[in-house]
Amino acid sequence: MSPTSSRKPKLVGLLAAIFFFALGFFMLWQRYQILLETRDREMTGIINVVEKNIDQSLKYSYSAALSLALQIDRDGKIKDFERIASELVDENPNIDAVQMVPAGVISQVYPYEENKDVIGYNILKDPTRNQEAYIAIDSRKMFFAGPLELRQGGLAIVGRLPVFIENEFWGFSAVLIKFKNLIDQSGVEQLATDKYRFQFSKIDPVGGKEEFFLGDSKNLDKSYSEEILMPDGDWRIYIIPTEPHQPLNAVIPVAFLILLMSAALGWIIYNTMKQPAILAAKVRKQAGELAKSELQFRAIFNQAAIGMARVDSNSGLILETNKKFQQLLGYSNSELVYMEHTNISYSEDKDENIQLMNKLRNTEIREYNLKKRLVRKDGEIIWIKLNVSALWSEGEKATSHIALVEDISARVKAQKERAENERRFRSLVENSSEVILIIDSNGFTRYSSPSLERITGYKELLVAENEIFSLIHPADSSILIEKFKECRDNPGVAFPGIKMRLQTKCVKYIWVEATITNLTLDKSIGGYVVNFRDITGKQEAELNLVRSYDFVMEQNKRLLNFAYIVSHNLRSHSSNLESILELYGIEECEKERKNYISLLHNVSRNLDESLHDLNEVVSINNNLDINVETLQVSDYLEKTLEVLQLQIKRKNVRIKSQVPQDMKIIFNASYLESILLNFLTNAIRYSHPDRDPEISVKGYMQNSSWVLEISDNGIGIDLKKHGDKVFGLYKTFTDRKDSRGVGLFITKNQINAMGGKVAVESEPGIGSTFKVLFK
Amino acid sequence: MIKSVWVIDDDEIYQMIIKKLIGRSQAFDEEHYYKCVLDVFKDLESPDFQLPDVIFLDINMPQMDGWQFIERLRELCPDLSAKCNIYIVSSSIAYSDKERAKKYPEISNFLSKPVSVEVITEIAEAVNKKTRCRDQA
Repeated sequence: MSPTSSRKPKLVGLLAAIFFFALGFFMLWQRYQILLETRDREMTGIINVVEKNIDQSLKYSYSAALSLALQIDRDGKIKDFERIASELVDENPNIDAVQMVPAGVISQVYPYEENKDVIGYNILKDPTRNQEAYIAIDSRKMFFAGPLELRQGGLAIVGRLPVFIENEFWGFSAVLIKFKNLIDQSGVEQLATDKYRFQFSKIDPVGGKEEFFLGDSKNLDKSYSEEILMPDGDWRIYIIPTEPHQPLNAVIPVAFLILLMSAALGWIIYNTMKQPAILAAKVRKQAGELAKSELQFRAIFNQAAIGMARVDSNSGLILETNKKFQQLLGYSNSELVYMEHTNISYSEDKDENIQLMNKLRNTEIREYNLKKRLVRKDGEIIWIKLNVSALWSEGEKATSHIALVEDISARVKAQKERAENERRFRSLVENSSEVILIIDSNGFTRYSSPSLERITGYKELLVAENEIFSLIHPADSSILIEKFKECRDNPGVAFPGIKMRLQTKCVKYIWVEATITNLTLDKSIGGYVVNFRDITGKQEAELNLVRSYDFVMEQNKRLLNFAYIVSHNLRSHSSNLESILELYGIEECEKERKNYISLLHNVSRNLDESLHDLNEVVSINNNLDINVETLQVSDYLEKTLEVLQLQIKRKNVRIKSQVPQDMKIIFNASYLESILLNFLTNAIRYSHPDRDPEISVKGYMQNSSWVLEISDNGIGIDLKKHGDKVFGLYKTFTDRKDSRGVGLFITKNQINAMGGKVAVESEPGIGSTFKVLFK
Repeated sequence: MIKSVWVIDDDEIYQMIIKKLIGRSQAFDEEHYYKCVLDVFKDLESPDFQLPDVIFLDINMPQMDGWQFIERLRELCPDLSAKCNIYIVSSSIAYSDKERAKKYPEISNFLSKPVSVEVITEIAEAVNKKTRCRDQA
């Protein structure tokens, strides 16, 4: 704001206020004068009435005094005073009393009673009163003295008429009017109202000082009063407004009002005048800011990291471009200016842009975004993100627009590559034989690769509904649950190698090997990634391998055992032979030598027996192509019991057979016969001497395999002592001579050769139970 | 002083042979032959029964093998190794049996069949020497 512009409204405002104030006060002054004049006029009117009334009273007094004086004869004698006086006083309300004052001495008075005190009083000799008496004598006219304090009491005026007989002063005929009476007669009380007060004064004939008789306002403010002079008594009567400043008071609020109004007017004028100056300042400021923002815009336009071009919306001609725009397209500014924007557009993308631009021009839209291609000067095609905004205000006609151009070629390329990668990975995942599942933390499948259906036959698997667990083989589900828990507590860690059996839709179990990774924290996955593959073939091969290994190990063990047996048994015979031959060599006695020969016979027989046993064992173990067929166990049991009939009867054996008819096994017939015979023979042979043998034969299914159980109440075997030797060769547990320790060894070998197993439970003195677990 | 020997073996023929060999060696004053291990324990129950100086023990026997016999005997006679020299006489030439024999302090040696008169004489002398040393001490 410049100083001149600010001072001027102030000055004008001040002047206007002063002018208005002066005008107002002038008018107020006029009003005040009118008020004063009106009051004066009113006062004059009132006082004139008062004067007339008093004058009237005095005139009555004069005529009364004259009437009284006429009673004085030439000799100075007073006739009929009483009668005349009473007539005068009683008939005239203005007069209170009359006196006859010959030679200044009051001789007669009416009414007498009230005034008798004054008889004999010489007024001429009283210095306080004689002056007025002398005035009357000198002027030979009636003169009213007072108001004065009467000797008989009360304030009154006395009108004295000098009487001359033959030019010789006789005395006075006097009329006495009580001051109160006079004032009543004057009508002052009625006229005064509350607006005015009256004052009655006289110049003291002795002191020359003005003396006042009414009210208490002795110090009369004569500034606004009116007065009249009554020459008959030298009195002055004043009328005084009770509130002398009332007119002034009446105008003071108005004066304040004027003051306020003029100040307000001055302020309004000041403000009104100031407004344009403020506006002007604003305009200047905004113009400055505009220039600044224009500058900033220029800077942004030129330095921007994205290409910018201003384009004529109607013609489509490029108006100006920034550096980045030129760099992007490889043209110089001068080449670009006044070029049609479609010239740099890739032909396939032109139409969409033109349509949008038409909409912009028709003010249907204010801006638009578009991804499109542009052609550089060197012919290279670049992908750009275009943002177009109208540069005209809303409601106006289209002028030009600004186009922001961002090079997104790299981004588009990356996006394409990403999509390509995604497609590649997806096809990898989808064509892989490995199943990939993404399971969210609620247990729902977010994603499952198509191989899921290929392998399991299910479209999806639910963990939440425990569906997945119901499909896992019961023996494996605890492992899976355990792994899931571990996985939950270790996000990001892959738990591989979880092998389990999974039931497929066609109710068959397959072996799968799974890897679980908790990627719930990975936002792009947000779940557990489970990938598994069918390893049934591998697993079966592995199991077969394990089985083969076990089998080989078992064979090996048996072989070792066999070798041990062979070496031990054969060596014992060979060492015996050696010893016998040695002894034979040194023996001289022929009888002893014969004895040694017979011993040699025994050894050879024993050797043959051992070889026979061993041969049997070898034949069982070596006969791989042994003939097997489906055998009904109950049939064979019956047959065996028939064979043993004699022994059973002799020993009074009770047989309890519980072998079901449907118990059919694939086995070698002669082995089964041998096994049954061996077990039953043992059960009968090793019966307890104190009780009848009881043998129970049971057949039942266990883990989908047949079990044959043969229990007896015989002598039993101390398994703590002999546990691992029960089925050993040449192991016997009794001192019976017919125990050779071969039967159970052969039996076990026969069962093993058929892929079965044998187990024993026994307690000495109570009995034994042998179990044959068939394959 | 009297030297006694037990032969524990289930092989009848061997028993006859070893009887002849011991007889020829004339190393022992008292001989006792057990075909069944369990008979040893029956005899042990009699009050005036005494352990021999030497036991020839077979390993592979029915009812109870040589190892079990030693373990059982050890339970009954705590000072077994001091009183008695046990020789394993077995037809086994298995390495595992020889190794196992080393773990038993009671076993003085492992002999593979057949044994000769010389071996029996050597054993008798070794036992004699040992007994003398013990008595002097």
